[in-house]
Amino acid sequence: MIPRPPILVRRGEGFDLSLSSEERALLRSIPSRLEDSLGALADASVPIPAELRRLFPVAFATDDEAEERYQLNVRADLVEHHRRCLRVLSETASATYLSDTEIESWLGAVNDLRLVIGAELDVSEEPSMPDDDDPNYANWLYYQYLTYLESEIVDAIATLLPSPIPGADEFVPEDPWGEPPGGLRWDGTPIPKDL
Amino acid sequence: MSESSVASAAFAKTATAPQETELARTDEDELTDRPWLVIVWNDPVNLMSYVTFVFQKLFGYSYAKATRLMLDVHHRGRAVVASGTRHSAELDVARLHRHGLWATLEQQ
Repeated sequence: MIPRPPILVRRGEGFDLSLSSEERALLRSIPSRLEDSLGALADASVPIPAELRRLFPVAFATDDEAEERYQLNVRADLVEHHRRCLRVLSETASATYLSDTEIESWLGAVNDLRLVIGAELDVSEEPSMPDDDDPNYANWLYYQYLTYLESEIVDAIATLLPSPIPGADEFVPEDPWGEPPGGLRWDGTPIPKDL
Repeated sequence: MSESSVASAAFAKTATAPQETELARTDEDELTDRPWLVIVWNDPVNLMSYVTFVFQKLFGYSYAKATRLMLDVHHRGRAVVASGTRHSAELDVARLHRHGLWATLEQQ
């Protein structure tokens, strides 16, 4: 198979964008639906629907009071951030050129879409492709496409990173846990050991 | 994390300043000498290249350092990516959440 050329090519202060009309149609419609779903969530008293909880991770896994205060503080800003990225993606889906700011919004929006769809599909580290008569098949294809698109965007946007901060690399992570490392699910609950 | 792509990052001049969320400061926490740890947890969705990019962008790490931390998250389930006062750790967690990473904070 002939490798596909890069969809984003650096040009001055932005990037040339090369996508098919089918890809553009997908990127115009689906982000708008997620943006609409997020619209009602800016008020922190509104519960997060299960299908969108992946976009609102837990900060304090073992302190309910601190967690509640944190969520109250960040909710409106986080909702607006997600919505802004999705709006930029759907509004510029037909563009042939993206500014540096727009491509950053694309990365945020594509990552949000992958998170929501990936959580819905309950993907694992090594996901297997469903049969084409599986009800999740279309979502799976969209997820794979977003994976490809995000990889391309990360490769492109990494060229915008500034030089590393002098001394930052000297930070040595603490490891207060020892082995085994285990892990948490996205909602702060431990992963069962038999998984 | 998904292994679909690991970016080869080159560094350039422009930077995008991360937007910060204003969070309540709790001064009593600043008085203790035990730092708060910012922890990123493994998940099967976020791309390895994306996580590396976010560590570089938010913390100013080199590509090599960011990659080592990303691999720690991937292979060991979690990694401490920053530490400091409760306030700074909470800000870091909020910035990581804006980028879709599973991040928590806890006092050492």
